[in-house]
Amino acid sequence: MTSTNAVRRERPRIGSHVFLMLLLVAFLAPVAWALLSAFKPANDIIRSPLTFDPTAFTLDNYTAMFQDVPIGQGFVNTAIVLLFKGAITMFFAPLAAFAFAKYRFWGQNLAFGAVLITLMLPTIVLIIPLLLEMKTLGWVNTYQALVLPGAVDAFAIFWMRQVISAVPDELLDAARVDGCGEFAIFWRVVVPVIRPGLAGLGVLTVMNIYNDFVWPVVVASSERMATLQVVLSTLAQNITGNRIGADYATVTGELLAASSVALIPLLVLFILLQRHFINGILAGSVKG
Amino acid sequence: MTTLPATRSAADRAAEPRRGRRHGGTRLRRRLAPYVFVAPFLAVFLAFSVYPLFFTARLSFTNWRGTGAAEWVGWDNYTYLLSSPAFWGSLGNSAALWLLIVPVQIVLGILVAVLLNNAKLKLRGLYRVAFIVPFVTPLVAVAQIWVVLFDGRYGAVNAFLGLFGIPEIGWLTTSAWAKPTLALLFLWKTTGFIVIILLSGLQSINGAIYEAAELDGASKFRQLWSITVPLLRRTVMFAVVLQTLAVFQMFAEPFVVTQGGPYNSTTTAGYYLYNHITRADLGTGAANSFLLVVLVMALSLGFVRLLRAKD
Repeated sequence: MTSTNAVRRERPRIGSHVFLMLLLVAFLAPVAWALLSAFKPANDIIRSPLTFDPTAFTLDNYTAMFQDVPIGQGFVNTAIVLLFKGAITMFFAPLAAFAFAKYRFWGQNLAFGAVLITLMLPTIVLIIPLLLEMKTLGWVNTYQALVLPGAVDAFAIFWMRQVISAVPDELLDAARVDGCGEFAIFWRVVVPVIRPGLAGLGVLTVMNIYNDFVWPVVVASSERMATLQVVLSTLAQNITGNRIGADYATVTGELLAASSVALIPLLVLFILLQRHFINGILAGSVKG
Repeated sequence: MTTLPATRSAADRAAEPRRGRRHGGTRLRRRLAPYVFVAPFLAVFLAFSVYPLFFTARLSFTNWRGTGAAEWVGWDNYTYLLSSPAFWGSLGNSAALWLLIVPVQIVLGILVAVLLNNAKLKLRGLYRVAFIVPFVTPLVAVAQIWVVLFDGRYGAVNAFLGLFGIPEIGWLTTSAWAKPTLALLFLWKTTGFIVIILLSGLQSINGAIYEAAELDGASKFRQLWSITVPLLRRTVMFAVVLQTLAVFQMFAEPFVVTQGGPYNSTTTAGYYLYNHITRADLGTGAANSFLLVVLVMALSLGFVRLLRAKD
């Protein structure tokens, strides 16, 4: 993403500016509209969707939504999955990548083939058998089911292997001469050197786990276990279920409040860590 | 610890592995280490990828419904699906969405990437960040916002179009408009991602080629068509493969926005597959998974071939 290789031809024409500006508005408008409208009185959201009156600012949608939607529980569940699944991926994936990048061992190609297969396999193939496996284990609606399948992310291994390959062998040998054990070489030499790559991986991992939906909705749809995204996916049912006779305006107001609450953490994270996000997404595009 | 012993010669270092270690234990540990390091990944792979894959294969030849004994039904699930209008309908819907999404996205992506690749463009950084915002946001939250925005009577989109005298459109309630509305959601969500990929492809093109073309008097359009497009082909194909995989697996969008309707017009391949789970028709679902994988893999390989053939 550096500008070094960017083409430096003449100044762009006015038309390009207009085009890019329109696109910018189109890309930001839905999110901005939702964030703002959630602070409008519910009736105004549907009566005049295009205006915003600062004097009518209200938190009613939020207070009603927190009453009707178990969004707190959703956040807690997502946080738990993030913590455990994230930690497992961030530790074991670079460790496996280290073995693939810096050792020659029997069965190496076969094992790396396993990484590539996992990468290319569409998620949906495994959903049904994996669900049945969880039923056999008694894991439906448990944290294990949300955390363990896919925990040592294949893409993370694939990416970190490239990153670790660039670490000079001399560095590792020097550590060996100093009497470092093999794990200490990973932990005290490799990890500090690849910190920028790890930052990108961390951001991408958080984003993927936070936004994950297909597997959680299949395996953990009970109210107690639902992750944030699963809670969001059945908002309308939640709201009308807890507020009998709620009209369309009320439902819409709460829906926008809930969506905003879910958007904000990632938006903040993104604004703070843009560079790592873009690096992570770029590297992440290798994923099939 | 991270300082290199500068005095050691290259020949010294090359000879090192053969000379071996002073302690046999260190050497053994070094040989065993990689197995220990990859073991956690392999354990997860065997338990949650290999085992379920074999299980799906067997399941697809039974009529199991989640409880009781599974009855062997041979190829019945496959023949049922291949002769089912609903199955072909779901593939047709996904193909239609593909047509609405991928060509538009590639053209738009190239256009934006080329504009953003100009170092003299003002606000370059702002555009790059703004275009990636949709990709970062959670899909389910955005899908809910879509439901509100595109509501036929109260939605902001129709209100906006109304300013120009355009009558109300039933975005989510008519089968003619439901697909384009979902396609728009997908385009909005992922075009910034495609722009980033294409931009990285563009930045690997040597700027000197354009300077030469400029000297030869080639027009801007000619440069785009004769230099950028051919040199970007590999990146474009890569983006096409990625998006093909994504479109055929599309699930959250119809799940949240349209529940596959109206009249199944947005029942995508991914959503149709999910319906087998809700109906506990697991044998058929397993067979459907396999058919879908074969299709998706064949499509990806086809695109890759297309890419290779011209190289």
